[in-house]
Amino acid sequence: MEYEVKLEKVGRKKSLSQRIKENKTWQKASTIVLPLIFGIVLVGLWQTEVLHSWFHTDTFTLPLINKIGGIMGDISDKILENTIATVEVAFFGLVIGSVLGYLIAMLAALYPKIGSGGLSVIGAFASIPVVAMAPVLNNWTKDVSTDANLRSMVSKIIVVTLICAADMGLNAYRGLTELKPFSEDLMAIYGAPKKITLWKLRIPNSIPYVFTALKVSVPASIMTAIVSEYFAEYITGVGRAIRENIVLAQYSTAWAYIATACLIGVVAYVVLMVLQSILLRRYH
Amino acid sequence: MSEVRDIEIKTRELGVTFQDNAGRDVTALTGVNLEIYKGEFITLLGPSGCGKTTLLRSIADLQKPTTGDVHIQGMTPKEVRLQQKFGFVFQQPVLFDWRTVKKNVELPMEIMGYSKGERSDRADEMLEMVGLKDFANHYPNQLSGGMQQRANIARAFGLDPDILLMDEPFSALDEFTKEKLHEDLLRIWRATNKTILFVTHNIQEGVFLSDRVCVLSPHPGRLSAIVDIDIERPRTLEVKESSYFNELVTKVRNSFEGGSV
Repeated sequence: MEYEVKLEKVGRKKSLSQRIKENKTWQKASTIVLPLIFGIVLVGLWQTEVLHSWFHTDTFTLPLINKIGGIMGDISDKILENTIATVEVAFFGLVIGSVLGYLIAMLAALYPKIGSGGLSVIGAFASIPVVAMAPVLNNWTKDVSTDANLRSMVSKIIVVTLICAADMGLNAYRGLTELKPFSEDLMAIYGAPKKITLWKLRIPNSIPYVFTALKVSVPASIMTAIVSEYFAEYITGVGRAIRENIVLAQYSTAWAYIATACLIGVVAYVVLMVLQSILLRRYH
Repeated sequence: MSEVRDIEIKTRELGVTFQDNAGRDVTALTGVNLEIYKGEFITLLGPSGCGKTTLLRSIADLQKPTTGDVHIQGMTPKEVRLQQKFGFVFQQPVLFDWRTVKKNVELPMEIMGYSKGERSDRADEMLEMVGLKDFANHYPNQLSGGMQQRANIARAFGLDPDILLMDEPFSALDEFTKEKLHEDLLRIWRATNKTILFVTHNIQEGVFLSDRVCVLSPHPGRLSAIVDIDIERPRTLEVKESSYFNELVTKVRNSFEGGSV
């Protein structure tokens, strides 16, 4: 009797919800499926104007999605032109800033006395809001060139550079100095000079930290580029187009640029994730 | 033992003093006079805080002595270190995550500037010796703790160092893995004829492996006794069952100053 009871207990199936929760395939799929459902529901509510009644707004201020899409198609030439302007600023700022930040981190790791000061300075720069930094840099770069587009571009790139340099500098410094216990001793035992320790231990150790920095600074570079366009002398870029169109009460066009800004951000992040999955394959 | 043996390492009145957080001097080690013979397997044994790791690190030039000095083959530890005559097995495997097991074993040879082919051949040889041949292209975190420690040992032997320093290399491993590695280590030692300095807090381990056990006592860390372990070699695990082995264990245990710890 007892034996049978036991059997029943062991054989009892878990509840359906429990089994779904523990299913590995579902766990993986749910990270895509759930946000997708959220997106579809949102689009549905938007397109059927339920969203408008909830937020007491109208289709003029919050145009319907098909209308935004239509405009994106109609002015695709202009959108592309502005997108290129924004992406250029974000890209150059990101590259220059990240390289600069990494070099400062390297200096700080090798010569703590000189370098740590540099890190604090750059950290301080990063805490200045973009809306404060952009107009000041506009002023500073007045004499860079007679071409308004060029000097405006330089000013915007400098803002993005400072933001990205701080992010990379602080993260890379951790990657270059937070080493596994005894790994420096290991290099010392084999008489490795500083240069080889840097090359074979510190730099490889810092690669995952570089990606940690980029995960923040890639979206930040686009955001900073867009915001600094608001204050730029020369009228160009996705951010500036959003502003100009809102001022002119052309909300549908403004929304087309907002959607473009979102797309740029998403695409840049996907590119970064693909790069990371390739380059970080050997770091488990 | 009447035969005359070459002295490889000699410490004279070696002492190390640290400063604690409050700025007070803490004597980690004091007045160590020790002579280690060429090709000897010697254990530094003691409880935590007795300075055994400090002594090992001073010999390896990873720690500067406050008093006294160390001579190795008539040179200073620094000279010996820069000539890459040390192999060091740390408490943790210290393998680089981004390198395969084989590339980790090759690291010291890369620093030394060996050619690619030479490195590869030598690393294969070392991995075969420690039984990791089939795992050469795995990454460290795909290996068990015992296998990682084998890779650590393979790396230390790769440069064919004169002196192998081992700092509690097996303390984090389970008993089965540890016993297997003990036998392996003795086999490798016999085949390569290195001088091995082995740090442990495990009395049985020290007695089983060594020619001599140096007993260190804490507060302040000092050398309190040296016990000869004249059990015949080669030794197998059965040795641990013998009454003579247990006699020596007891002898070592009783030689801690202030009684057993």
